[in-house]
Amino acid sequence: MNDFTLIRDIERYLEGEMSEQERTAFEALRQSNPAVNEQVLMHQQLIQQLDQYGQRVAFQEKMDKIHASLAIDEVLPPSRTAPPAKIFTISRRLITNMAAAACIALVTSLSTIALMQNANRQKTTAQYEDVRRVLNNIQRSQNALINDINSKKKAPANPGTYGGTGFAISNNGYVVTNYHVIAGADSIYIQNTKGEAFKAASVFEDISSDLAILKITDSTFKGQPLPYTLKPQHALRGEAVFTLGYPRDEIVYGEGYISAQTGFNGDSAAYQVSIPVNPGNSGAPLMDSKGDVVGIVTGKQTTSDGIAFAVKSAHLKRLLEEMPKDKLPKKEWNHKNRLGGLTRVDQVKKLEDFVYMVKVYN
Amino acid sequence: MKHNQNIERDRELLLGLTRNDDRALATIYTENYPSILRMVLQYNGSEDDAKDLFQEAMIILYEKAQKGEFDLYSKLKTFLYAVCRHLWLKKLQTGNWQLALPDELEEVLPAEDASTIAEHEEKDQQFRVMKKTMSTMGEPCKTILEDYYIRKLSMQDIAEKFGYTNSENAKNQKYKCLMRLKKLFFEQYKS
Repeated sequence: MNDFTLIRDIERYLEGEMSEQERTAFEALRQSNPAVNEQVLMHQQLIQQLDQYGQRVAFQEKMDKIHASLAIDEVLPPSRTAPPAKIFTISRRLITNMAAAACIALVTSLSTIALMQNANRQKTTAQYEDVRRVLNNIQRSQNALINDINSKKKAPANPGTYGGTGFAISNNGYVVTNYHVIAGADSIYIQNTKGEAFKAASVFEDISSDLAILKITDSTFKGQPLPYTLKPQHALRGEAVFTLGYPRDEIVYGEGYISAQTGFNGDSAAYQVSIPVNPGNSGAPLMDSKGDVVGIVTGKQTTSDGIAFAVKSAHLKRLLEEMPKDKLPKKEWNHKNRLGGLTRVDQVKKLEDFVYMVKVYN
Repeated sequence: MKHNQNIERDRELLLGLTRNDDRALATIYTENYPSILRMVLQYNGSEDDAKDLFQEAMIILYEKAQKGEFDLYSKLKTFLYAVCRHLWLKKLQTGNWQLALPDELEEVLPAEDASTIAEHEEKDQQFRVMKKTMSTMGEPCKTILEDYYIRKLSMQDIAEKFGYTNSENAKNQKYKCLMRLKKLFFEQYKS
């Protein structure tokens, strides 16, 4: 076999022009004859080099073409071609005019932005509604009255200006509710299902996520170990949830499901929940089927029905970790869940002792 | 947000470059050349220096993109600027570049860049050998090989262009040319 036929065979082999039979024969030759094999490898390398050479030459040609079409003068720094003085004076006048125009444009656009933002904010507040309850015109339930008279608790006879819901996050009197419930409060009272009221004070507020931590200051308050935990993981879309809140003076149960992983306007610290929510539900716990807290109800969308929002429990947990240690020791809110295997009726029965009505006076 | 969009745009341009899309190349070239030119001019280099430097950086980018293993983590502009800076430093060390590297450009380069350049130098060496070999090839071999491997003409077209009676004859001529090229190339390459 001379060099020519060898190179022809290698080329036909590499370019895939050989028939099946020729191919097998050639591969056998390659295996048996190391010199042939080496020639094949060298040839492969050569073709690869040639291909890369070709690509690079073509690329270089393309670049040269682009380079030739570039207007180099435009990209040169201005110092290279000093402009005549006359043009300078004209451009000076031009600059003054342009500055004036720019100022006007700036003022116009800024005011437009301000207007737009204002309109936007109004629209947003119109769509979103805090679900705290204005209590002025709502009669207190007889139940509470009787309780008040019988137990002679110190709760004021006045029903309060605003109301919401809160729930215990520790066994020593820490309660979480919504910031908007207690915003601007002169005094805060917590009332349990038995109608007993305790004075409380806000110890920590996070306006951005609309959460507030209250501490019951009344010495008469006696805590119990919590039967639930704050779930650190995110609840999944479609997960069944329920809530207990005080849209009226009686504790009310409601159930629904997580509809989306983000809250109002894409807020990633909140869920969208499909659950009946009424004024007074603000700060109510959102529980999963095991009775663990997955969120805190904050508000609802007014433009459509059945859309409520709840801050994620993970966010609350983060807040608690950020809180100064002396205010709330970490272990205080690490509890074991004791509601797991119970029926919903039993779960609710146990839970309602830890869900309070928050009354605000101002 | 805006930064991410820029990266996305750069990634698309890079994809275009991989597909040999001329418009993508033109966009990258026209958008990035001026800043390199300005840098070189600022330190008293010539336009030709800038062109050489930038085109070499573009070739590095192109070859990296072609290999398909190049993931863009910074903006194209940043990448090209860094590569140009490094090439400048290299040229300075080898002594075939008259221009001094300004102090503020003389920072330590990331290792990733350095390996990119080293890889490129090997390729560059191979390219120069091939270029030299091709220039010593006589006609019609040079044109046939260029037509087939650079301009990607079919053997049928080449046969017609050179007046061979059929593509088989043209192929036989190509084999002869390859034989010569192979001999010359490996002589050069090994020395």
